[in-house]
Amino acid sequence: MRELPLKNVLSAAGATLSERFGAQVVSRCADAATEYKHIRDAVGLTDFSHIQAFRIPEEKAIDFLDTLVAGNVAKTRYGRVLHTLIANDNGELCADCYVANNDTEFILLCESIVDDAALRALVMDSGGADAGVVDLNADHAILSVDGYKAWAVIKELFGADVLGLPYLSIENYEFEGETIRLFRAGKTSEFGYTLLVPARIAESFFDKLTTLVKAQGGGLCGVDIHSELRLEGRFFNIYAEGVRAKDPLQLGLQWMIDFDKGAFRGSEAIIARRSAGIKEKIIGLRTESAAQKLDIGSEIYAGSEKVATITASCLSHVLGCRVGLALFPVSIAFAGLSFSLGKDGPAVQTISMPPIMPRSLTVKLDEM
Amino acid sequence: MSVVSLGSQQSIIDRRAKVINTFKEELIRRLNLPYTPDDLHEDVSLLGAGLGLDSLDALEIVLCVENCFGIKIPDEDISVLRSINTIVDFVIAEQDKKGGAQ
Repeated sequence: MRELPLKNVLSAAGATLSERFGAQVVSRCADAATEYKHIRDAVGLTDFSHIQAFRIPEEKAIDFLDTLVAGNVAKTRYGRVLHTLIANDNGELCADCYVANNDTEFILLCESIVDDAALRALVMDSGGADAGVVDLNADHAILSVDGYKAWAVIKELFGADVLGLPYLSIENYEFEGETIRLFRAGKTSEFGYTLLVPARIAESFFDKLTTLVKAQGGGLCGVDIHSELRLEGRFFNIYAEGVRAKDPLQLGLQWMIDFDKGAFRGSEAIIARRSAGIKEKIIGLRTESAAQKLDIGSEIYAGSEKVATITASCLSHVLGCRVGLALFPVSIAFAGLSFSLGKDGPAVQTISMPPIMPRSLTVKLDEM
Repeated sequence: MSVVSLGSQQSIIDRRAKVINTFKEELIRRLNLPYTPDDLHEDVSLLGAGLGLDSLDALEIVLCVENCFGIKIPDEDISVLRSINTIVDFVIAEQDKKGGAQ
């Protein structure tokens, strides 16, 4: 198992550590309600060092990355970040990625459902060795600052210029003589910043961030609360629905794919399935109340007929009920329908996603 | 698969499918999106994440709804623009206020 660079600091702070696809992760730092409140109302600091990070020198980066990922890297302007995916040769999802055009380099961040060795093999086998790919995990930590007030923490660190960064962009900042790569990104529906931090300064940077986060009324979080926030905000979560339904088309990820560019890893299989038309697709649903269960793997019925299986589920603190995702036959994959959970079980209703309106959407940072 | 067991809900499906298809075709045409209607999942985020449309595109979406359905989205109500499905919910609710499906 690949251990987190800050595991001792995090353990001392009360973090619960576990494993995700061969990498150590921080599952929780407090109870779910507290962590949820940190991010929705203030700011949460989460260690994301389990995700895989690579640096590719600019010279051969575009050609290499465009044969690896499904999105169009050549169209990604300087300073911008492309949100896309990596598939295997069968067109099945392997990683949810950010590809950042950072002047003399490209940075590839991968949330993958294969371990480090398998992802590295996929990257190298697609021309990574020739392109000069460097694995950054050995000497970097990755931290995520998310929440309604996340911008205030980052502004305090790096100055007011950060408020002008658009969603999906990258910028370099200095801290104790080292370069920190800052991604304006996030999948919680609130403001989000991902920081790629050299290991030499990771501990002092983490301490500084922790102080600033607490000053805003926030605190440390684990990855489990991010899964709940992603579902509530209908951000794709490769660690939930992505594990159980690996077809990017069924998952509604066509927006991550450029069907008009040349071949990329898995493109033949994906394009063939697109031409044939998908038979199932993932949609959202909710229970009547928070007390009603909506367990992953539970079956959804229309009368006496089984029509779907739950692939992701969480408590929606905003709606006061459980929300989930399930793969439905396309002929009935519509919001506003009633089904039962199990034969003759309690009612569930398909819903439009995202079901909530985050407060961060009403804040205009560039006007502050 | 048969949807007979869905009974009376078939009318909800038919109505929603009609609004979705009309909107998607117009959206793709207006914004020159490189996708087919089937490629656009109804829950994909329209602004920022997902399709990554900007504020100018948002104006086009508002015009798109007005053109397709004769319904105006209030300027201050950006929550409607979260996804195709939330727009369709708004359209159907407004149609109902005006006196039923159109």
